[in-house]
Amino acid sequence: MTPDLSFWTMQTLNALQLSMLLFLLSVGLTVIFGLMHFVNLAHGALYALGAYFAATLASHAGFWVALLLAPLGVAVVGMALYGGLIQRMRKSGPMAQVLVTFGLIFVLLDLTRIFWGDLALAITPPAILAGRVDILGVGYPAYRLFIIALGLGIFAALALILSRTQIGAMIRAGVDNDDMAACMGINVERLFFIVFCVGCGLAGLAGAVAAPLLSVTPGMGLEILIPTLIVIVIGGLGSLKGAIAGSLIYGFVQTFGAVLLPGVASILIYALLAAVLLLKPVGLFPAKG
Amino acid sequence: MFRHTPLRYAALIILFSGALFTAFTAGYFGMEILTEILILAILVLALDLVAGFGGMVSLAHGALMGLGAYAFVALATKAGLDPWVAASAAVAITAGTGWVIGAICARSHGIYFIMATLAFGQMGYSYFFEQSFFGGDDGMVGPRRFDLGFIGINLNDSRSFALFCLAILGVIYLVAMAILRSGLGRSLTGVTHNEKRMRALGLNVWRVKADVFGLSGAMAGIAGVLAAQHIMFISPKMLHWTVSGEALVVVILGGLGTLVGPLVGAVAFVVMKHELSHVTTYWHLIVGLVLIAVVMSRANGIFGFIEARFRPKTDRMIQSIQTRDDAKEIAKDA
Repeated sequence: MTPDLSFWTMQTLNALQLSMLLFLLSVGLTVIFGLMHFVNLAHGALYALGAYFAATLASHAGFWVALLLAPLGVAVVGMALYGGLIQRMRKSGPMAQVLVTFGLIFVLLDLTRIFWGDLALAITPPAILAGRVDILGVGYPAYRLFIIALGLGIFAALALILSRTQIGAMIRAGVDNDDMAACMGINVERLFFIVFCVGCGLAGLAGAVAAPLLSVTPGMGLEILIPTLIVIVIGGLGSLKGAIAGSLIYGFVQTFGAVLLPGVASILIYALLAAVLLLKPVGLFPAKG
Repeated sequence: MFRHTPLRYAALIILFSGALFTAFTAGYFGMEILTEILILAILVLALDLVAGFGGMVSLAHGALMGLGAYAFVALATKAGLDPWVAASAAVAITAGTGWVIGAICARSHGIYFIMATLAFGQMGYSYFFEQSFFGGDDGMVGPRRFDLGFIGINLNDSRSFALFCLAILGVIYLVAMAILRSGLGRSLTGVTHNEKRMRALGLNVWRVKADVFGLSGAMAGIAGVLAAQHIMFISPKMLHWTVSGEALVVVILGGLGTLVGPLVGAVAFVVMKHELSHVTTYWHLIVGLVLIAVVMSRANGIFGFIEARFRPKTDRMIQSIQTRDDAKEIAKDA
């Protein structure tokens, strides 16, 4: 098949949709890292948890309730994790944090298997998003467009909050220099707590949104973890700009790589990551210079 | 510099005699577990060398092991080389690859180093997953084992193979010790403690890191060759990052930077895995909880915990002050 306009439109939309899903995941992780210097490998497991919550809620109360409540549920789990583990691990080195959250992956993975079993669950998108929408002569699934819109909406909202509100200014101050921010009278501990919970909630939202698209399996958190980490390392830790740039780069390289260069597609993204780390060892748009 | 305390000698003697005892008394299944432990022990020794002594937390070691296995199998079956020649070439390949990865990543630190090694590891995983020449995701059937007929040993017997792996592990332990005691090892310790100071002293820092990473890669390659001969089947799964993650868990569980600790960790991990998977399919849950508990306890793994118990009280105080200062130093660098 010769690539024509509809091919490019289709693949661009696919790339955008993947990018937005990754953005929802990576933005929470990157801000948590930027602010708290905390490496949370269990972020992917929280995403899987969001998908499971959504699957259960959707079968009882419908899709929209699930989309609203699943992120809240994951945020509550995040609160418990923060109180029980994360707070105590804040002062340890990155190595200990990587390991504790690696252990947490094992625990959460098996807990989801115990509660929901090994079989894949599926949820159907609501009727209003079930059809296709015609864009430049391409019939594109409405649900995927909804993901793109949601991702862009969240990006816009976060950009506004970070640049225009007081709490946004406090977060930026905390990322820049948390000791100094604390000296200026900002309650940094409370800030950490809020950001961590919102980050977990966004991971849960990503899981809930992804659930109708992919099947819900215990391994989905582990599968998404590496792409998310690649996104934040390419983009640079701690910045919103880095998260969106990294997500778009990953989404487009992965999608177009898979259709244009099928043989090397999967290696391409890792080669890109290695190249970025070589040329700019702290990523493209790090929060700190 | 790496030193052997009486406690470390005692632990080594217990582990060695335990392995010998198991090799001569266990049935077929026990022998398989013993061999699994021994091969894992080689991999975690390699990882402890870079992570424990060089501060280079690598998530590429599973991939280096897998690369060794693939190179060995491809050279022995596709190119028809003698197993010994194929194995030597495979180890040379992993050493070279390790050296290159170490050289490239030498500038990165902390989480960036982890991510960079992860990228290289996953690159290898994806490559072997996609290449139909290497069997793709189906993997490949391994070649025959080494022929030791000239000294009257048949490695197809599982006891002989376990003892062979034990001997290799012993040699690798001695090599790791020699590396740590050499000039290279001392430079590495210096770099881990204070990289800037070592650079100011005129040391070629990236070269030290790359050399050690290459040597460690060679050890991981040996583990890969043995693993390929042990299960006589290889698949891209060997290269997946979770294998590296598990190896790291073993090192931490045993005691980072002690060489003896990771051996203890390998025994504990494999035995725990087999025992728990009899009882419950959710053994990862328990491994995860144990890992969290070990890291949160702030002891340096099982062996580090034992060492801390046996140390005289004054030593303990000095140690705790030192670790506190080290932690501050590391926190400052990060």
